[in-house]
Amino acid sequence: MSDKTKADAPNGAKDRPGPSRRTVLAGGAVAAGATALSFPYVSRGLAAESLKFWQFYAPGGGVATQSKWFEDMAKSWNDSHDVKVELVYVPNNAYMDGTKLPTAFASGAGPDLFIISPGDFLRYYNGGVLLDLTPFIDKAAQDDLFPGVIANRMVDGKIYGLPMEVEPMAMYYSVDAFNEAGLTEKDVPKTWEDLLTVGKKLTTDKRFGVLFETAPGYYQNFTWYPFLWQGGGDIQSKDGKSAFNSPAAAQALKFWQDAVNMGVSPRKVLGGGGWDVVPNLASGYCAMQNVGIWAISQLHENAPNFKYGVFKLPTPPGGKYVTVGGGWAFVANAKGKNPKAAGEFCAWALGSMSPDSIERVVDWCTKAKSDMPPRKSALEKGKEAYSKGFLKVFADDIYPGARAEPRVPPPVYKAISDAIQACQLNGQKPEEAAAAASQQIDAFLAGYKGAPIL
Amino acid sequence: MPAARKAAGFRLSSRQREWIAGYLFVAPDAIGLLIFVGAPMLLSLSLGFFSVSGFGEYSFVGLANYRRMLGDPLFWQSLKVTVFYVVMLVPALYVCGLGLALLIQADTRFNGFVRTLLFMPQTVSLVVVGLVWQVLLIDKIGLLNRLISALGVGGFSWLGDPRLALIMVVVISVWFLMGFYMLIFLGGLQDIPREYYEAAKIDGAGPVASFYRITLPLLRPTSFFVLLVSTVTAVCGSQTFDLVYIMTRGGPANTTSLAIFYVYQQAFLFNEYGYAAAMASVLVVVLMLITVLLFMLTRGGRFTYD
Repeated sequence: MSDKTKADAPNGAKDRPGPSRRTVLAGGAVAAGATALSFPYVSRGLAAESLKFWQFYAPGGGVATQSKWFEDMAKSWNDSHDVKVELVYVPNNAYMDGTKLPTAFASGAGPDLFIISPGDFLRYYNGGVLLDLTPFIDKAAQDDLFPGVIANRMVDGKIYGLPMEVEPMAMYYSVDAFNEAGLTEKDVPKTWEDLLTVGKKLTTDKRFGVLFETAPGYYQNFTWYPFLWQGGGDIQSKDGKSAFNSPAAAQALKFWQDAVNMGVSPRKVLGGGGWDVVPNLASGYCAMQNVGIWAISQLHENAPNFKYGVFKLPTPPGGKYVTVGGGWAFVANAKGKNPKAAGEFCAWALGSMSPDSIERVVDWCTKAKSDMPPRKSALEKGKEAYSKGFLKVFADDIYPGARAEPRVPPPVYKAISDAIQACQLNGQKPEEAAAAASQQIDAFLAGYKGAPIL
Repeated sequence: MPAARKAAGFRLSSRQREWIAGYLFVAPDAIGLLIFVGAPMLLSLSLGFFSVSGFGEYSFVGLANYRRMLGDPLFWQSLKVTVFYVVMLVPALYVCGLGLALLIQADTRFNGFVRTLLFMPQTVSLVVVGLVWQVLLIDKIGLLNRLISALGVGGFSWLGDPRLALIMVVVISVWFLMGFYMLIFLGGLQDIPREYYEAAKIDGAGPVASFYRITLPLLRPTSFFVLLVSTVTAVCGSQTFDLVYIMTRGGPANTTSLAIFYVYQQAFLFNEYGYAAAMASVLVVVLMLITVLLFMLTRGGRFTYD
């Protein structure tokens, strides 16, 4: 204590060593305040103005350019707008298959902005939390979106999600594995039968010939749909009833079953799953892998020396080439704290005719990731990238046969998933599995009142 | 002095002070249990009577969720898988926990080291455990397949074959949990007076007779605890969910879809919170019945040795 404070101090406190009671109380108050602020709900309340944008492209993730793209986008918006956007990262598995997003919405604390795949569209649309983005998107920009891509994000002519990418599925193969087996590019399979025959030649005691996803989930269904469509099958018929009990469905189920029964395909995959190309194809666990366009950037970043080729999905006898185009879309929470600003952000980021918005889509699809663009202008602007390498193969051969990933409610997804699993891994007769799934789908559709299934 | 007399009027007897102190000591735990276990259980129970959209809409449906359960083959499949899991896991944990405790009960430095090793899995995150085992058990190139291929056997898909996947989940659960139950049994074994064994030895009893006549009977309180806790753990322990979630996602073909995993799927993947809560309530009731039954069989967990 200084002499002055000593003199001013009340009786009895003058000679007490150490901090005064007031100092201790003040220090305590600061500490309590700091502790309280560290609680998420308090700091969240104070920072209520910013829009929270949940996604899974975290810094330090699989591909650095992807998180950078998100950061640049947020910075660019924040530099020019009063309502700020804050990126919130959720681990990939927790986002796609976890409790984070569902519990947030169940407790009325859903994010203002988030990304969803077509597989989850109906769940959130039917829940009434997807904002109609149409008023925020210019007519010219609406016309700029490929109709086949935007269709499964629309209900009654209104747009509820702005796609950032289109991710068609294809087959990748290891050039070294082909060489070892005495195969060349000419041996690339064109039919299902070819695929199994070539797969058999590529199978060794340490390697599988061809890999399809084996874990049950939305992703497995997504990868299986093209094989259903190629034989003319579908999930729902035009009269609104199940179309799943069909020879095409049984044929597609049998195709994956045969691959496992012949020992050509594994029953378990490595890494994060069948979408993960480095631990499966590049590591030598399989010689061919059924995976999407994103694998180009995965291999470029994480296995740059791996030699591979890409070919379009083979077809069944009498079938027609079709692949599936998935991809994620920006959506805004209609029950968020500032839906108008969230809608404006989505349109500004991906759905405006401004050069920045188009460039952003091009950057995401050709630099941050390796995807096909959901917009005509972006395809035109990025034509150089799509005129060479594997992106050209996708642009010229694979993408033209793409059909949008179906949006299905969870019970329909589960019925199809159970049929795939039962045939692929549990030896059930494909016709029986297709009939059982169809019965479940019909039972559900009879009482379904949500948006149309596409 | 009147003030002093007044103060003396509030003085508590030592018995009352002890009584208050006892309740104060128990209070934090009891309050915590009520808030974090009791209240959520009651809420979950009541949620089972509602249809919950997952987006803030609740509508009362009475027993509809329970009726739906009766006709849901996947719910019955998950119960069947859970029963198989419990029937395999609980005895395996009992035998492994007790066996290991008997092997390393002597207080030597080497045994101390082995105890630490056996307890180690408990210190590792279940996610890491699941991921590591997944790689060890992978088709063709996994460590286990490579080891047995040296013996001329091979080609197993430990986690992808419906006949093997649940067994492997049990094996990994046992590997993860047995260190914990070994410690419980070690505590029980150390409570048995050495004199009993010495007397038995003098009377000519061998190790097997000593085990059946002394060790097992005197371990009854420990065995009761182990059986009760391991049954609850098998139905809804963290390893039950985490290992399945990481390694199999309930597959192949729902053969590892344990009830707790199916509840999770219905709640968080299908947004059927009401239905999931109803199923969770059924699990709670079944576990309570098992607990009551065990307590009744052991007269409230009390054991006599006459």
